[in-house]
Amino acid sequence: MSVLYVGVGEYAASKTPGEVIKTLGLGSCVAVVLLAPRHRAVGMVHVALPDSSINLKRAEERPGTFADTGIPILIGEFKRMGIVNPRDFIVKLAGGASIMDRNNVFNIGKRNVLAVRKILWKYRLGAIAESVGDTISRSVALDVNTGRVKIWSPGRGEWEL
Amino acid sequence: MGTLDIADKIAHKIDNLPTLPTIVTALMNTIGDEDHNLRDVVKIVSSDTSLTANILRIANSAAFSRQSDVDSLEKAIVRLGEKLIIGIAIGTSSSVVFDDELEGYQATAGTLWDHSLRTAIASRELAAFAKKKDYLELAFTAGLLHDIGKSVISEYLRGKASLMTKLYDKGLVEDFLEAEREILGTDHSEVGFSIAKVWNIPEPIQVAIRYHHSPSDASEEYRLLVFCVHMGDLITQISGGEGEGADSFLYNLDQSYIDFFGLNRTAFDRIILNVEEEFHAVKQSIEQCGGGTNEP
Repeated sequence: MSVLYVGVGEYAASKTPGEVIKTLGLGSCVAVVLLAPRHRAVGMVHVALPDSSINLKRAEERPGTFADTGIPILIGEFKRMGIVNPRDFIVKLAGGASIMDRNNVFNIGKRNVLAVRKILWKYRLGAIAESVGDTISRSVALDVNTGRVKIWSPGRGEWEL
Repeated sequence: MGTLDIADKIAHKIDNLPTLPTIVTALMNTIGDEDHNLRDVVKIVSSDTSLTANILRIANSAAFSRQSDVDSLEKAIVRLGEKLIIGIAIGTSSSVVFDDELEGYQATAGTLWDHSLRTAIASRELAAFAKKKDYLELAFTAGLLHDIGKSVISEYLRGKASLMTKLYDKGLVEDFLEAEREILGTDHSEVGFSIAKVWNIPEPIQVAIRYHHSPSDASEEYRLLVFCVHMGDLITQISGGEGEGADSFLYNLDQSYIDFFGLNRTAFDRIILNVEEEFHAVKQSIEQCGGGTNEP
């Protein structure tokens, strides 16, 4: 089994049997998981912030950082594998943990999830399963062989999305 | 084992911790003094040949080198910034406590150093948004040291992480700190404070360690500094990264930060980006000097 690690602002897609895509310690970041079961292809982007307008240079260097540039780049990876029909896609979301803040500054997890949903909607995509919000920092593993999405969190064990 | 036995063991462990290198405390005292100048810092650093070599190497590394090479210690310190010099002194000295696996927090070896370095950078970034400037020169160092108590109490929390998160999820404790007190009779901020006293760390940093989860309880004189560390710590947990521990997200934000900082969403998001970027540059540079973590 070979593991592709996706760091903050990175993305990966694969249809190579035996590969697993992992991302660790999402915190307020959101893992957008894209599955194309008919093509046995999977992919993931680790989005850290909602909007690329705060740093366009960074968006160019590492587009996966932002929801508005990360989701298009992941969909582009599927296109490169010949998968273009939105009906072939299944979307799952994990992450977006938040800290309570009455001033709405520190609640970046919530803002990330909203931004991701909004951008997905532009592609006529919506998540069929989500493990988002709360005060849980999640890690995610995505298996090419099975298309299964496993989530785990220190002190809370693991579960399937 | 009762909490009294544990208290004795913790006290014994604190007394037997390796001391912080003298050069680190000397740098903290000097940089924390408003009247210091660059020559004072150069004098301290140059007394340690290995630290001098590391600082020159890092200043000339890909992450920090601009157009020209730096050949003098003065120029290297100016390029890196005085605060980072303390980070390098701590990160490259093998005798401190950052490398251990924190089993009680389900955090792998190296996690505490990564978390501390990110918090240091975030605390320093936040200082730029503070409405006053009291003791903020120390924000980076205080961020670096805020969680030292964890390295001592972690072993007594071994196997308890699930229980502690359950206590939090059921609303039986207000935060992870209270869960630590339930089990040990003390918490990582109190223990960190004791270590800071033994290590003779400057008082403002001692106070930041003690109150980093309850900044409003800190004395007014140091409150702004404590808030920088409090918020820097939370920003680090929020932005995640490779392996935060079981206590991640299980602390509360002191809502009165808004009285002390001119911080909006855009500034906040930019801080997250800057921390991520600088963290990788600094970590890589320190590791190239043979310091930092022993990550698996």
